[in-house]
Amino acid sequence: MCVLCGEFVSQLHWTDRHVEDQARAAGSWGTAGDYQRTRRRDRYYRAKLTNEVLRFYGLKVGDWAGSKYVLRDGKGRSELVQNLGALWPAAQKLAGRPIDPLDPALQAAMCEAFNINAASTSKG
Amino acid sequence: MGSGKTTLLSKVLSAPSLSNTAVLINEFGKVGLDHHLLRRADEKTILLGNGCVCCTTREDLLRTLLELLDEEGRGELPTLDRVVVETTGLADPAPILFTVFSHPVLQHHYRVDLVISTVDAVNGELHLNLNPESIKQVAAADAIVLTKTDIAVAGAADALRVRLYGINPSARVFEAPFGEVDPDELLRPAANPYEPRPPGANPEGADPDTPGENARHVSRTHSTSLTFDGPINWTAFGVWLSMLLHARGEDVLRVKGFLDVGETGPVLLNGVQHVVHPPNHLEVWPDNDHRSRLVFIMRGIRSDELLTSLEAFRPLVGAGPRLLEANVPL
Repeated sequence: MCVLCGEFVSQLHWTDRHVEDQARAAGSWGTAGDYQRTRRRDRYYRAKLTNEVLRFYGLKVGDWAGSKYVLRDGKGRSELVQNLGALWPAAQKLAGRPIDPLDPALQAAMCEAFNINAASTSKG
Repeated sequence: MGSGKTTLLSKVLSAPSLSNTAVLINEFGKVGLDHHLLRRADEKTILLGNGCVCCTTREDLLRTLLELLDEEGRGELPTLDRVVVETTGLADPAPILFTVFSHPVLQHHYRVDLVISTVDAVNGELHLNLNPESIKQVAAADAIVLTKTDIAVAGAADALRVRLYGINPSARVFEAPFGEVDPDELLRPAANPYEPRPPGANPEGADPDTPGENARHVSRTHSTSLTFDGPINWTAFGVWLSMLLHARGEDVLRVKGFLDVGETGPVLLNGVQHVVHPPNHLEVWPDNDHRSRLVFIMRGIRSDELLTSLEAFRPLVGAGPRLLEANVPL
């Protein structure tokens, strides 16, 4: 149980499991510091990638106390979520519209944004 | 009615390799199971606040699985190797998976080995036509056992195989005439995510579907098999898939396969609607084909919608999707 928030930390979402499973498989956790650093790096990376999508909804996610994510709408509203499983429903609520990777409007926005990035990279 | 499930179960359980097995049944008095450790589970569920049917805890199952652990720990039971949970005819397997994966104690003491669905060779087509629940069971299955093939008409089993392949090309199909099937074969994990295509199965391959064809079939459950044109970013794929399951999890009956994530071995992914098994990162690939192979079983979502979505996410995921097969059940 997490002493900070009282939740079961064993409730890992399937997207968060790799770091813990790797540590278990290695038969050791390295030092506690190694594990925590790997876990934190993994979480930051996940937040960064998620933000690549959330920005199309005017939202942003950041690390909170190394254990949760804080989702913000840039207008003062925020919500704490445990993992990606909880993130999308919370984001949908804050965004006020459905969040769906099958949405052609999202895909069009992503294609435009990423193609522009790709073009500037190849020029540079 | 008797789908042949109990006969099959009693024959499978008679194998010596399955002697340390507990069986959870939904009613007592079933013939042939008397000599095994039997417990009754009455399929009560706790519905969580989000109202999602697959993410419900089977309260009865939870209690019984914890009791078994307790009794084993206290020495009141011999060591158990396996628990077989039998469900009623139209039950949804997802809550069973959810119960094991989400509970803080169960998830460390139990591993979901496989989902076995039975299809009656005599009435199977009718059930699939009339009952969406039976299609869900086929979609969720790792192994499908055709029962009563001894009394079904000639060709029924072959026709069913084609139909079942269209729904779930990743499930291994066994025939069990007189309830007979090799238990060790049945329980052996599949080496790769696809089964050989049965004679008569006619999937649409890399040629794009005409929109009219696709629309006509999409309300029915269908399967899409795809690969990627390179290794994918596992973290990014998790963002995409968790987003898809949030939006459309009820319609994504199954996601299963091997993913090349740029490591020495693949990631085994296995999801049933919103309930995803803890992904398994293997040390090595099972064979020489190191390409991703993923099956989606969906209803109400077209194959091309899925592919377009993954294509849009290519900058994050790192590789683009390639259709291998789109199966339209006949």
